[in-house]
Amino acid sequence: MNSKNIVIIGSGTGGTLTANLLAKRLRKRIINQEIKLILLAENYGHYFQPASLDIAFKGANHRKFVKDEASLVRKEIRLMLERAVNIDLTNRTIDTDKERKVSYDYLVIATGAVAMPSSIPGLSEGSLNFHTSPEESAKIWKTLQKFERGRILIAIAGVPYKCPPSPNEAAFLIDEYFRKRGIRKNVEILFLTPYGRAYPSAAVSEVVDRLFQERGIEVVPYFNLESVDYALRKVYSYEGEEFRYDMLIAVPPHFGSPVIRASGIGDRDGWIPTNRTDMTIKSYDDAYAIGDATDIPISKSGVVAHLESVIVANNIFSEIEGMSEKYGYTGRINCPMEVGFGRAIFISGTYKSPPNPNNPSRIKYLMKRIFSKLYWNVLSGDLEWIFNLYFRDISYKTVRQGQYRHEAISEITKSSKTH
Amino acid sequence: MSTETRRKIVDARGTYCPGPITELFKAYKESNDGDILELLATDPAAKSDVKAWTKKSGSEIIDIIEEEGHTRIIIKVKKAR
Repeated sequence: MNSKNIVIIGSGTGGTLTANLLAKRLRKRIINQEIKLILLAENYGHYFQPASLDIAFKGANHRKFVKDEASLVRKEIRLMLERAVNIDLTNRTIDTDKERKVSYDYLVIATGAVAMPSSIPGLSEGSLNFHTSPEESAKIWKTLQKFERGRILIAIAGVPYKCPPSPNEAAFLIDEYFRKRGIRKNVEILFLTPYGRAYPSAAVSEVVDRLFQERGIEVVPYFNLESVDYALRKVYSYEGEEFRYDMLIAVPPHFGSPVIRASGIGDRDGWIPTNRTDMTIKSYDDAYAIGDATDIPISKSGVVAHLESVIVANNIFSEIEGMSEKYGYTGRINCPMEVGFGRAIFISGTYKSPPNPNNPSRIKYLMKRIFSKLYWNVLSGDLEWIFNLYFRDISYKTVRQGQYRHEAISEITKSSKTH
Repeated sequence: MSTETRRKIVDARGTYCPGPITELFKAYKESNDGDILELLATDPAAKSDVKAWTKKSGSEIIDIIEEEGHTRIIIKVKKAR
């Protein structure tokens, strides 16, 4: 019997969790050499990205949030520290930077998103950010500590971007920081957004707009950043507005991974056209995309990558075992937004139900902190029972032997038939 | 820069806020003064979002057409820069 290759590209939340879930479920077949499970990881270090806020606005040590990828994956997984440079979906092969060609029977692309300040004139030179690396986040903290007086702009410089609540959280945490230092009255905080309100979702924005008003954070709506003049310390929008700044913190425009663009399998910005329920790449039934890499108009966040990993791991397992149970993604999102002073709100919804407004609470903040503590264990796949208690019924649609559970729909049935 | 007026369809059907306005911004950034953008949206909030944005940007809504299952919003682009 020929062995089958499952290849996962990308070792962030989605790639690592998918690999571990498959390793657990296919353990015997991997030991019997019926299956090879390969994880192509570009980086040795795995960074817990939500920590960027703590590093930038609370002074947390960024070294605490990076672990060796090899310590996070199960022993059944063949971890290859090689960068994919080309993906050929037709011939089912991947070229790596070590001039190796890897073939696959099933492919999962979890290559994430890349924040690129260089895509806007002057942005690299004129701004700080907490979306490119932990080291860049640390620069914000260093700058804040010396900041005594003036105007801080928080600007969303492109959409979509990773972790939609994060710019709002930045504004809240900066407000908290200067209040605690007793110099808030010396600092003007402006929030520049391409959207018409403080948060893209109108319902959530009801809460955020009110809180911004209470904290003295001014929202500048419909500001699409065109360029930055770092010598004059000014930002300009396509709509014709300009603002002077003393400190500019920007969310840079994001794009799909270079390998997606180089392989010609994404859209113009490098997002992979993906079926939003079964996570297959459009026109393919043996290749999946998950997490930030997809073109699905939904939050680019760790929770989304997590839930999609469960679906893809389950469906690949079902196919290999000849089982009929398939999962489908409902578009469930669940993003905590820290609003300062130890409180948070949750932004939850699905494809069919937009988020509802909710008031800040201490318990939601604590839930966010607990999740952060659990993150490394979550990646092992051993804590899925907790996620199932919290998420399962509203996150996955299931079809099993023709009997629908939850709200399984035709997309899943169709998908099952094509395989 | 080309002075030719271009027309582009921006299909945001099936996405909720901020999907339609996000897709519109992407097209707007790549357009020239005078270009026509036609936004197709199923989200009822798209109309009010686009109206508010055009007030700020100076772009002009030429027509709003209710078609079967979606709205077509036709916009003439005005670029300040």
